[in-house]
Amino acid sequence: MDFAKSDIQLMLLDSAERLLGERAGVEYWREQKHSADGFDRARWAQFAELGWLVLPLPEEAGGLAGTMEDIALLNIELGRALATEPYVSTAVVGAHLIARGASESQAADLLSRVADGSLTLALAHREGGGDSLSLTPVATRARRQGEGFVLSGIKTLVLDAPSAETLIVSAAMEGEDGTALFLVDCATDGIQRECYALVDGTRAADTVFQDVMLPADALIAGGNAGAALLSEALDRATVAMFAQAVGSMEACLRICGDYTRERKQFGTAIGSFQAIQHILADMFVAANQARSMLYHAISHSQDEADGRAAALSAAAIVIGEAGQLVARNGIQVHGGYGLTDEYAISHHYRRLMSIEKLHGDILRHTRRLGDHIFAA
Amino acid sequence: MDLRTDPELETFRAEIRAFIADILPPEMQHRQRTKVLNNATPADMCAWMRILNDHGRSVPHWPVEFGGCGWTPQQLFIFNEELYAADAPEFDWGGTHMLGPVLYSFGSNYLRDKFLPDIRRGAYLWAQGFSEPGSGSDLASLRTSAELQGDKYVVNGQKIWTSGAAHAEWGFFLVRTDKTVKPQRGISFLIIKLDTPGVTIRQIPQINGEAHLCEVFLENVEVPADQLIGEPGMGWTYAKFLLEHERTTSSFIYWNKREFARAKEIALRENVDGVRIADMPEYRARFAKIEADLLALEWSVLRVLAKEETAYPEAAAASVLKIRGSELQQDITMLQVDALGAKAARYYEPTANAPQPSALWPDYVAGRTTIALITRAATIYGGTKQVQKNILAKLAFGA
Repeated sequence: MDFAKSDIQLMLLDSAERLLGERAGVEYWREQKHSADGFDRARWAQFAELGWLVLPLPEEAGGLAGTMEDIALLNIELGRALATEPYVSTAVVGAHLIARGASESQAADLLSRVADGSLTLALAHREGGGDSLSLTPVATRARRQGEGFVLSGIKTLVLDAPSAETLIVSAAMEGEDGTALFLVDCATDGIQRECYALVDGTRAADTVFQDVMLPADALIAGGNAGAALLSEALDRATVAMFAQAVGSMEACLRICGDYTRERKQFGTAIGSFQAIQHILADMFVAANQARSMLYHAISHSQDEADGRAAALSAAAIVIGEAGQLVARNGIQVHGGYGLTDEYAISHHYRRLMSIEKLHGDILRHTRRLGDHIFAA
Repeated sequence: MDLRTDPELETFRAEIRAFIADILPPEMQHRQRTKVLNNATPADMCAWMRILNDHGRSVPHWPVEFGGCGWTPQQLFIFNEELYAADAPEFDWGGTHMLGPVLYSFGSNYLRDKFLPDIRRGAYLWAQGFSEPGSGSDLASLRTSAELQGDKYVVNGQKIWTSGAAHAEWGFFLVRTDKTVKPQRGISFLIIKLDTPGVTIRQIPQINGEAHLCEVFLENVEVPADQLIGEPGMGWTYAKFLLEHERTTSSFIYWNKREFARAKEIALRENVDGVRIADMPEYRARFAKIEADLLALEWSVLRVLAKEETAYPEAAAASVLKIRGSELQQDITMLQVDALGAKAARYYEPTANAPQPSALWPDYVAGRTTIALITRAATIYGGTKQVQKNILAKLAFGA
C-alpha cells in the first residue's frame, strides 16, 4: 500500500491541471449547457492527444495500462473541473468492454477510433422500473436468428447516449441464463433515441430497440461471463464517478473557503464567524472521509464481485452523504448567491446530486450493505 | 499511489494473532471481555505490559533504540487491531503513547534512563495533569505554578480530570514557570511523584459509577528540578508534539472496530417480539451506515499513518480523526444499548468481575450501558468536538 503518487500519476495530474484549469469549471459548464452534445469536441480531441482516452486500456490493446488508482486520480480532476465529457462511458466502461469481449479485428478498429477521439461509446443497461443494481435485463431481449440476433426492448437513462456512435447493450438472451452484451451501431435500423439533459448538464437518452438485426459478431459476451463482465464494467464506472464526486467536493471546499474569506457582513469576513467555521469544518470532515472511501473502493476493485459490491455500497453511503452535506452547506455559506447560475457552487450541487442518484443511491446501497453484513 | 494490500501483511497478521493467543492469559482476556469498567484494571494493565515487554513488544511504535519494533505504520495498525480484537487489556496510554515519546525526544539522559524502562515494562501507571478547573478547552490559560527555589520546583495549584490518578504512581504535569511572558511561553512539562507531600488526590464519582477521573491538589509540592523535561517554557510545545505524535490514537479505530463486532454479536442474539435485531431493516440500515463510516475512518487513519501528501496541513487530517472517531464511539455504544432494548436499563456496578451470566442475562449485557454512559466524554476530552472544528476551520480554510 503506497499513498505517494508515481511519476506517471504526477504527469497525469499535471496535464489535467493544465488542460482543465485553463477554462476552469463553471465557464466551460455554462458554455456546454447549450451545445449540441453537452461537451466540447475540441477539448475531447485534447483528451485523446494526452492519451487519457486509452489510459484504462491494456497495452496489447494500444492502451497505457492505467491502474484503477490512475483512472481515479484523473477522474478526481475531471470532477473538480465539472467536466461533462463522456469520459467514463467511453474510456472507462465502453472501451474496457470492447477490449475484454470484442473480436480482435473489431477491437482493433473500434479502439483505434476511441484512441483518436473520433468514437464515443455508451453502455445501455438501465431499465425503467427495474432493480438498479441488478445485472439481469428483463425489458430488453434478444433471440438468435440465422447467424445473427434480433434485439428488442427499451433502455432508459442511457448516460452519454446522445453523442455516442456505438452502444453496448445488455439483454436477456432467449432460452439462456446470464446476460448478453451486444455492440450496436446507433445508425442501425430500428433504433430510436429520445435525448434529454440531466440535472448536471450531461446528456442521456431513452433508447428503443425494435427488432434490431445484429450480425453474429455483435455479441461480445454472453451467459454468466456476460453478467460478470457487465458487473465489472458497472463497478469500474462507479469507482470513476465516485472519484469525480470527490473532486467536486474538494472543489467546493476551495470555493467556499475563498468565498467566506472575501464576503463581508457586519464589517467583517463571514469566515470569522464561528457558525460559518463549524459548517466549513463539517464539510472538510465529510470530504476527507469521502476520499478515504474512494481509496477503499479502489483497493477492492480487483476483488470478486461480492467483495466489490460490499466495498462499493459502503463507499456509496459515505460518498453519497458527504456529497450532499458538502454541496448543501456550500450553498448555505454562499447565501443567495449560492442559488445563482453565476456561482460554481450551484453547479457542483447539481453534479453531486446527479452522481449520487445515478451511481450511488444511498438507500439502495444501505440496504445492500446491511444485508451483506448479516448474510449467512 | 497503489492501494492494493501487501500480501506480506496478512502473514504478519497471522503471526501477530498467534503471538497474542500464545501469551495472553485466558483469565485476563475473560476479564477484559466481560468487564463493566471502562478500562482494564490497573493490575491487568501492568501485568500485560510486563508480558509484552518480555517479548520486546510493549512499545512497538517507539524508535528501535528505545525498545520499538521498527514496524511500518501498517504493521503497527495490524498489531493494535489484533490486540483489541483479542480482548487484550489496553495500554497505559499515558506512559506508552504520551509521556514516552516526549521523554525520548526531549528528555535528559537521566530522565530517559529513569523512566523509559519502567514505562516499557509497566512498572506502574501514569497520570496526565493538563486540565484545570478554569482551563479546559482554553488550556493555555492554566495557572498551576512551579517556582524554582534552589534545585527544586515548588508547585501550587489544582488539576482536574486527571485520569487514573488514584492508581498512578507518577504524573506528568503542565505547570506555569513564568508568568511574565505570553501564556503559551510560560508553561513547562514537569514529572511529579504522586506520593510527594502536598499532593492530594480526590476521585470524582462519575455518570457510570466509576471514579476514574480525579482532582489533584498541589500545595507547596517540592519537585527535584531535574524532573522538568527539556527546557523551561517549552511545555506547550512538548504538549503539542505529544498530541501530534499520536495523531491517530484519538480515532479509537481499534476500539471502535472491536465494539462494532460486539454490537453485531448482540444483534445476532437479541430478539424483539420474536424478530432478531439482525433481521430488522431499521437495524440493518444502522449497521450498514456505521460499517461504512468505520471503513472511512480506518482509511483516514491509514492515510495519516502513511503521511499522505494532501493540499492541507497534516494536523487538519488529525482533527478529522478525533471528530469522527469520537462520534463513532458514541454511535457504536448507543447501537449496542439500543439493540439490548430494556435490558440496557439494568445497572451493573463497575467492577472487573461481572456477575455470572444467565440465559436471561447473557455475558454481553453487563458493561454496555455503563461504558456507553462514560463514552459521552469522547467528544469532550482531548479538545472538545467544537474546539476541533475551530482548529479545522483555521487549518483548512484559514478562517
